[in-house]
Amino acid sequence: MPAGDLTWGRRFLCCAPVHFGVVYEINPWMHAEVAVDVDRARAQWETLVATLRAAGAVVETIEQPEGVPDLVFTANAGIVSGERFVPSHFRHPPRRPETEVFATWFARHGFSVERLPDDAVHEGAGDALPFGADRSGGRPVLLSGYRYRSEATAAVPIGAATGAVVRPIELVDERLYHLDLTFCPLDERRAMAAPLGWDRYGIRVVEELVPEPLWLSDEEALAFTANSVVVGTTIVMPHVPPAVGRRLEAWGFDPVAVDVGEFLKAGGACRCLTLALDVDLRAG
Amino acid sequence: MDVRDTFVLDGHIVDSLILPKVLDLVLDAGCDYELIDVEIGRSPTDTSRAVLQVTAPDEATLAAVAEQLRVQGANPATVDDATTHPAPADGVAPADFCATTNLDTEVRIGGRWVPADRAEMDCVLVVGADERVTTTPLHRIRSGDRVVVGAAGVRVRPADRPRAAAGFEFMDSEVSSEKPKATQLRALAGRMRAVRDEGGSILVVAGPVVIHTGGGPPLARLVRAGWVQTLFAGNGFATHDVESAVMGTSLGVSVASGQGTEGGHSNHLRVINEVRRHGSIAAAVASGWLTDGVMHALVTTGVPFVLGGSVRDDGPLPDTITDVVATADRMRDEVAGVRLALMLASTLHAVATGNVLPAAVETFCVDINPSVVTKLGDRGSHQAHGIVTDVGPFLALLADELGA
Repeated sequence: MPAGDLTWGRRFLCCAPVHFGVVYEINPWMHAEVAVDVDRARAQWETLVATLRAAGAVVETIEQPEGVPDLVFTANAGIVSGERFVPSHFRHPPRRPETEVFATWFARHGFSVERLPDDAVHEGAGDALPFGADRSGGRPVLLSGYRYRSEATAAVPIGAATGAVVRPIELVDERLYHLDLTFCPLDERRAMAAPLGWDRYGIRVVEELVPEPLWLSDEEALAFTANSVVVGTTIVMPHVPPAVGRRLEAWGFDPVAVDVGEFLKAGGACRCLTLALDVDLRAG
Repeated sequence: MDVRDTFVLDGHIVDSLILPKVLDLVLDAGCDYELIDVEIGRSPTDTSRAVLQVTAPDEATLAAVAEQLRVQGANPATVDDATTHPAPADGVAPADFCATTNLDTEVRIGGRWVPADRAEMDCVLVVGADERVTTTPLHRIRSGDRVVVGAAGVRVRPADRPRAAAGFEFMDSEVSSEKPKATQLRALAGRMRAVRDEGGSILVVAGPVVIHTGGGPPLARLVRAGWVQTLFAGNGFATHDVESAVMGTSLGVSVASGQGTEGGHSNHLRVINEVRRHGSIAAAVASGWLTDGVMHALVTTGVPFVLGGSVRDDGPLPDTITDVVATADRMRDEVAGVRLALMLASTLHAVATGNVLPAAVETFCVDINPSVVTKLGDRGSHQAHGIVTDVGPFLALLADELGA
């Protein structure tokens, strides 16, 4: 399989950091006393979007209203499957107003909005990434993280709403509180994987699912290496650890580092700032 | 005191290893589980579903495990309260009544699992004004009683295996005469000792063959030595026991020599007539007329007995209860506290006793005919172990083994 055959990752939703800041603390990286440099954040975001576009991606944007500082992390908006959008139900009250902002945008852009049951808690693509297919039926598998931000029970309604086979794995390191800090699909056979974030069951599930995993060391994982965006053969990363970069290049990828330091203050990096709009989890 | 709760797990729980993880969590917490229901999805679109009952040593452990399971997506099964309908008349249950088994049963009332007062098969569950649950035979139902209908909100606890079950595995295979009797005898004696040491009661159900085969004297020894806390039998057993004690014959045949005796065919009638003259077996003992035998031992040691009559009885003895419903009620009263039941060469009384015994009562059935054990099992007393042997000699060995 050649590098760059991922079927999704050519069209993204991003949100310019107009009202971004660390005003509450809902993960171990957030410290409300650490000020965000708004101008620098804006410049970093512009560079990220320009890099994605240069790699061949289409980037659409959503406006950030006041009062939802984390709306910039569009990965948490929900889950896209074809023309369908399943908005997130956020764990923490400060993020809950984001749900309707995103639902409105998707409805206006031609998506049918499929709601989760009220009691389901799940933070969208931040905790759900597609990889490969189920062995027996060839249906897309959605690897889903749970514990800190999403609940295992949400797997059933998400499977029903998207058509994917949802495989929940437990996240066990609070610093890696979303699945997209531990896992990054690269192509049909390969993915970056951070075992630091999973228990032995989760590691076995990933071993079963991914034929050629690129295992990240604990330091690489905690530097958010997995929170990267793949656009064909280009991999947009918050930084490129030398060993990881060499491996990616040997596989035919082109790793590109984009400084997102201001966003790391809120516990998010490149992947968190994007939501792929071209994921289709329906069989076929 | 073990506590239990039921959890439901949905989704792709096999591929995601959530099911094995949940089971590991339960065991790691020092709890146990039973998979009550597992539906594995047949196609990739189908999710799977597992229902597991978790048994914890105490409420605190159960609550801790429940919290861990909740994180893994396993939620307590939502169970509705049981539904009750009023009984339409005395002795009549509403349609769709829930019929009991001989397993410990709990009924969900007001969100709580309330244990029924006792386990007996083929009864109904009546919820009292104080929300206590009474296992009630049909004839005891009173008009307006709140009787549980349907299966919702009712659960049974599987019978616990006896703690010394390992020693009994050889008994759990098919009932057969080809078993080492000495081993079975020692194992039974061991269980009787264990039950007595723990303060449990032993019930003996005896047929007349016990007396015919010379088992009367060793059974009397067992009664006198405190190995029997209750005895159920029929008119025939008591009659032949008294006959052998007073006249030395059982149904006219000399118990000592095995020879027929002159006019012996009427011995048992003459004995019944004498007991009737005294008014009761206890009165016959008190007057000094009855000085030996099993019934004498029961009266002198104060061990209660229930003699259930039948349509073919001679006499009957004044102690024999001729109302079968009253007999069953007396038996129900006497089985409370019984932990081990010994059915000795009795078919009809053994089956009748099996009907009122909770499944948790260890039951041993000694009979030369293996079909009696099968009969008990066929009627729901699956806990019965069979020892296929001649009961008279077996009782003599058992009394020796127990030092009676």
